[in-house]
Amino acid sequence: MAAKSNLINMAVCLTAVCLVCSALLGGMYALTAEPIAKANAEILKASIGSVLPEGGELSDAMPIEVGGQPSEYYVSKAGDEVKAYAVKSTTVGFGGPLTLMVGVTPDGTVYNTSVLSHTETPGLGAKCSTDERFFSQFKGFDPAGKILSVKKDGGDVDAITASTITSRAYTLAVKNAVEAVKNIKGE
Amino acid sequence: MDKILVSPNPHLHSKTTTKVLMRDVVIAMLPAVAVSVVFYGWKELLVLAVSVLSCVLIEYLITRFCLRKASTTGDWSAVVTGVLLALNLPPTTPWWVVFIGALVAIGVAKMTFGGLGQNVFNPALVGRVFLLISFPTYMTHWEIPQGLFGVDAISGATPLGAIKEGLMQPGATVQGIMADHGYSYSQMLFANIGGSAGEACAVAILLGFIYLLVRKVIKPWTTLSILGTVALVSCVFWLADPSRFTDPLFNLLTGGLLLGACFMATDYVTSPMTVKGGVIYGVGIGFITLMIRYFGSYPEGVSFAILIMNSTVPLLNNWFHQKKYGRA
Amino acid sequence: MSNRKFDIFAKGFFKENPTFVLLLGMCPTLATTTSAINGLSMGLATLFVLVLSNIVISAIAPLVPDKVHIPVYIVVIATFVTILQFAMQAYTPDMYKTLGLFIPLIVVNCIVLGRAEAFASKNGIVDSALDGLGIGFGFTMSLTILGMVREILGSGSIFGWKFISGDGLLVFVMAPGAFLAMGYLMVLFNRIAKKN
Repeated sequence: MAAKSNLINMAVCLTAVCLVCSALLGGMYALTAEPIAKANAEILKASIGSVLPEGGELSDAMPIEVGGQPSEYYVSKAGDEVKAYAVKSTTVGFGGPLTLMVGVTPDGTVYNTSVLSHTETPGLGAKCSTDERFFSQFKGFDPAGKILSVKKDGGDVDAITASTITSRAYTLAVKNAVEAVKNIKGE
Repeated sequence: MDKILVSPNPHLHSKTTTKVLMRDVVIAMLPAVAVSVVFYGWKELLVLAVSVLSCVLIEYLITRFCLRKASTTGDWSAVVTGVLLALNLPPTTPWWVVFIGALVAIGVAKMTFGGLGQNVFNPALVGRVFLLISFPTYMTHWEIPQGLFGVDAISGATPLGAIKEGLMQPGATVQGIMADHGYSYSQMLFANIGGSAGEACAVAILLGFIYLLVRKVIKPWTTLSILGTVALVSCVFWLADPSRFTDPLFNLLTGGLLLGACFMATDYVTSPMTVKGGVIYGVGIGFITLMIRYFGSYPEGVSFAILIMNSTVPLLNNWFHQKKYGRA
Repeated sequence: MSNRKFDIFAKGFFKENPTFVLLLGMCPTLATTTSAINGLSMGLATLFVLVLSNIVISAIAPLVPDKVHIPVYIVVIATFVTILQFAMQAYTPDMYKTLGLFIPLIVVNCIVLGRAEAFASKNGIVDSALDGLGIGFGFTMSLTILGMVREILGSGSIFGWKFISGDGLLVFVMAPGAFLAMGYLMVLFNRIAKKN
């Protein structure tokens, strides 16, 4: 049913199809650019918002070194007063990199933590983002009063059953974030 | 004229049948079973009972009701699978987990492929690996043996697990970890370290292995090539860096290596038919086991190594044909 | 005449089910069916692309020179996939994140190009649309069923509603379980198909 091919009609056909398709795509892009930007902003706000206290304006991302790696952080301010810092912290877990968003208040206490991405084993290390008993330990954790490492290493954090490596990685990520915040304030 | 009786061949009959072979295997496993019950108590007995009964029951139900033919449970192969599966599991495994393992071992690994003789993969190991991935918390819960009537459970890592986890800490060495936990070779040979039920006592497994050799149920090539490969390769790595790699004796005595080399890798159906094939099969298993132990995410690699090499057996049987008598 | 139209639509469900009979599109099938809702979404996304590309390709097929028909079809399919991608990113960001890489992979899904070549380029617009709908819904049905099985066995939930506490047989949430579930469903499906 197709037409016979010769150089002219092949070139014309291809050009025409590509022109029409790119026009369609351009139009679609323009139509969705704003909703996409809004959706992305919502996701970011949600992941940061869960680790920060209510209220406060969120700043843009700023570069910072966390645990020896380049990363970024956000500041939540109410007027001139800094309410809290949200630091992105990555460590090596059991199955790959483990990335957390850690909320730290200016006095050095951990406000809350949330998992941004992980590749841990389902049923074991993956519980770091679903087992409330584990991650709620970090809410309001004051490193001055308690030691930020797993009980096996002499600290005060209860590891996930049979997932010591993941638990250690999570705790280390929190610890690195706390250290990084100390450096921000030191400047 | 004398009467000449004519009958078709074979003309020489021996007493060996599948049932007799399987019964011998079960007898060979009795020392290891007895030791595991002595160490881990009635919990282990429960695991064994559930495993064997489930395997037999499932095979009976599938052959009678799904396939509508005579039951094949009389050949005792389901019993063997049941015992092997139980010996591969932690003694604290809940009964319903054991049942699911049996269901997978017999239903998926054996019957789906067509029953005894048609399966590619060792059924007990398929069941075990299925459970390992499905119930990681139950399957990684190890205990220190408490004896026949012990009530209190003390959980503890297996030696392989302790090494794998310990080495992740910066600055740890193998010697340091072994000293911390107080491991000694006599312990591993005779007793008292955590692990799955079949790992506990090397001597018991070796006794069974010798029985099978004497009864001519198995040939030693495969087992010896596995153990030889493990010893040789681990020796190379250990000499290169003793602080990061465990020594040959440790590797031979810990984990499921002896159980796997003596009872699982020698399974007729899933291992090569020729000597050459068997040796290559054994070398492959030994090598893969060590690579997983040294460099992989899991502390123990025997189950995976055997299953991987199971998949190469059809190829090995193709490459190395059995000698046909009467032909050049 | 309407009987034939109905046949074109219906064959995608059983006789020519792309997943269990034709064994096409295995990669997204095994990867995205970790739960019923994921499978359903992937199926519907593919359905969208399949129907539209079938319609367009059926319309332009007589005009396309034979030697360039493959690149032209691919461009058309890729355009629709990209449109879908923009739409999902904007309006269903959670599902977009869950399906991730597999949305752009719809372009190389054998089913889409396969139907374009085998059917759409040789039949009228209405028939091609019906074919796309039938195969697309058949695909969606298969993915949803596979997703349901894996979700029930692996997470103990149905469409997100958990009926056990804790985890299920975790192997079904991962690749090996996908293959196992797929294998047994194929057996079941082919037995039912044979009986009819």
